[in-house]
Amino acid sequence: MRKLLWRCGAFAATLALAACGGTNSPTAAQSASTSRGTLVDNPPLRLASLDAPTLQADLGASAAGAQLLQLTGNPTCGVDFYYFKFWTVGGAGEPTESSGALMVPTGSPPACTGPRPVVLYAHGTQTNKAANIANIADPGNTEGALIAATFAAQGFIVVAPNYAGYDISTLGYHPYLNATQQSDEMIDALAAARTALPNTLSSATSDSGKLFITGYSQGGYVAMATERAMLAAGATVTAAAPMSGPYALEAFGDAMFFGHVDLGATVFAPLLTTSYQHEYGNIYTATTDIYSPTYANGIDTLLPSTTPLATIFAANLLPETALFDSATPTVTIPNDPVLSQELTAALAVPSDPTNPDTPLFDLGFGPSYLITNAYRVSYALDAAADPDGAVPTPSPGVPLAANPPQQTLRKAFYLNDMRYGGWAPSAPTLMCGGDQDPTVFFALNTGTMQAFWSATPAAPLISVLDVNATPSGPFAPIQQAFQQSQAAEFAYYESAAGGGYTAAQAQQLLVEGYHTAVAPFCSLAARSFFRSFFSQF
Amino acid sequence: MNRNSLRSLETAAAALLVLAASLSMASPAVADSSANNELRLGAYLVFYNASADDLSGPFVPPGVNLKVQDVQTLYAAYIRRLSPHFVMELAFGWPPLTKTEGKGPATLGSVPYNGVVISSARWVSPTLLLNYEFGEPNARLRPYIGLGVNYTTFIDRQSTAAGNAASGGPTRLSLSASVGPAATLGMSYRIAPNWHAYASFAYAQIESDLTANTAGEIRRTHVNFRPTSIILSVGYSF
Repeated sequence: MRKLLWRCGAFAATLALAACGGTNSPTAAQSASTSRGTLVDNPPLRLASLDAPTLQADLGASAAGAQLLQLTGNPTCGVDFYYFKFWTVGGAGEPTESSGALMVPTGSPPACTGPRPVVLYAHGTQTNKAANIANIADPGNTEGALIAATFAAQGFIVVAPNYAGYDISTLGYHPYLNATQQSDEMIDALAAARTALPNTLSSATSDSGKLFITGYSQGGYVAMATERAMLAAGATVTAAAPMSGPYALEAFGDAMFFGHVDLGATVFAPLLTTSYQHEYGNIYTATTDIYSPTYANGIDTLLPSTTPLATIFAANLLPETALFDSATPTVTIPNDPVLSQELTAALAVPSDPTNPDTPLFDLGFGPSYLITNAYRVSYALDAAADPDGAVPTPSPGVPLAANPPQQTLRKAFYLNDMRYGGWAPSAPTLMCGGDQDPTVFFALNTGTMQAFWSATPAAPLISVLDVNATPSGPFAPIQQAFQQSQAAEFAYYESAAGGGYTAAQAQQLLVEGYHTAVAPFCSLAARSFFRSFFSQF
Repeated sequence: MNRNSLRSLETAAAALLVLAASLSMASPAVADSSANNELRLGAYLVFYNASADDLSGPFVPPGVNLKVQDVQTLYAAYIRRLSPHFVMELAFGWPPLTKTEGKGPATLGSVPYNGVVISSARWVSPTLLLNYEFGEPNARLRPYIGLGVNYTTFIDRQSTAAGNAASGGPTRLSLSASVGPAATLGMSYRIAPNWHAYASFAYAQIESDLTANTAGEIRRTHVNFRPTSIILSVGYSF
């Protein structure tokens, strides 16, 4: 600045230029504060401004986008996509910068302007470190397109953080399923977005004060953790709709270690151990405490990554599905032959022919495995000594382990389990999912939470939607649509155009895509649920 | 401002002054020593002929470019006669408000871009020239040619509301200063002993790095201006 003045001064003297000392247009104000919820650049950057017809054309340009619009309906509103940066905390409470999307409905229809409700959205597991949910121009940002079409284009202001560890974050890891950090970050993103909103180019749209919390998969869990944290803090939560989330983490972990390996387990495992190592510092002293020597080296910094997952698998940095050793351990507990035998059987490769999921579980075993037998046994011993009420057969009230587990990973699951602390929602809450989900088991997670709250005064506030159940009730059309789409997809795989697969192969493909396939239907249910809490216009 | 460009400006200007001084010493004194100074005023018609690289930086779609609108402004110059054939000309225009339009996609998303005025800046663009005048000092018509150096800096840099909409928010613009060669070709017409009319054509090479800062995101381009100007002026010598 001084240099500029000097330069202008010199000119004024030599050239008698009265016009010197001009003014330049400013950029956004940048906050120096690093306290939680601080918006860094105010106003934030608008990445795209799409009116309703343009949004419809852009989304409809791809087959997947056109299908999505068939479900969500064509946009009523345009959407302005803002990319904002904010300060939050990492997994150990350390200050860190994160980023996210603020999607603002625009346009003249009454549903698109003036005071509008806010949807605080938590995204699902993302292995791409560079992912930015605000960047609607990125064809890989399917979840951004989903929430834009479902919520923002229908008059909801959407706030969705990218999560610490992603995009511009310099955290170096992601606090995956860390209930405290992830809910803190959601709350901080909301605070920053609320600061930004009045200063944006779309300030004709304002916050009505109604707040809806939702998210899918990992984000379903984060949505529930955020609902809990906001209600505990006395903040307004109009309603929440966690979707397909791993809420009952301890039960989920136990089922996994007892051989019910889900699809995606080899990706979730390193994300979880790294996250909890940063949170608690006691998960391992060396990664070889948990992981086989083939994969242990560098696994603590493997994910998220800018390297595509397919490349990571191809380079054998992670096994695709083999979480455990196919040569399962023999457990020997001194003086307890019965328990020894039971545990040995429980850790064997699942072989129950009556369970349709057996082939899925068996994919979780192989000779080139991720987690060592020794570690698996240490976990199983803890689970056997201090069982979770939901595993193997849900007991009344499906409680957590009676005592805090001793095994450190299991204790981390216990502390981050949504049953921990014995809370219950005091805001209307819809849990949506699909009962055949091979990635986040529906009964074990959604079912456990529902049963856990069934005997509490919160029970009337809780509703559950299984998109795969026999259609009935207010969401019957959504259930029907989901089931029809599954049938259509199955038929497509069997057709010549879809690859001419056998029925068994087609079924396998359907299973592989199931978790993702449920997302738009549950999002639609969430929207319909949220709409019941405000008059539309 | 770029330190190197400042240094090269100083070097070029010093070289011109040394040359001018040596010329005035080498030449016999001008017959009418009372008319060694001249002031000219006139019209400056500037055709920027700018070309820029496509804008680069985060979240910029391909093919986003810009176009600089031509301007007309007031021309003023101080002339120092060094010899019967050589004059030194320090020319500048009243800093013209130069407008920049978007060039490229018709819209960015739904925001109009192509042909929309996105920014403006005032140019402070003095040129120091050493001119050689042909013909006799008292001739009615004297063609001349000149070579020199141009210095350009940009003040009052504004991103317009439309520019902010296209960039995604309030935008601060920086344009690096430029030092480059300049040349001129003209004709003088003696109206009266102390009054002359001039018509000239001028050319300069101007380059600038444009940096746009929107909410901390930096987008850049390099702009080459090859402005040609038509200057019509009247000079009074004293």
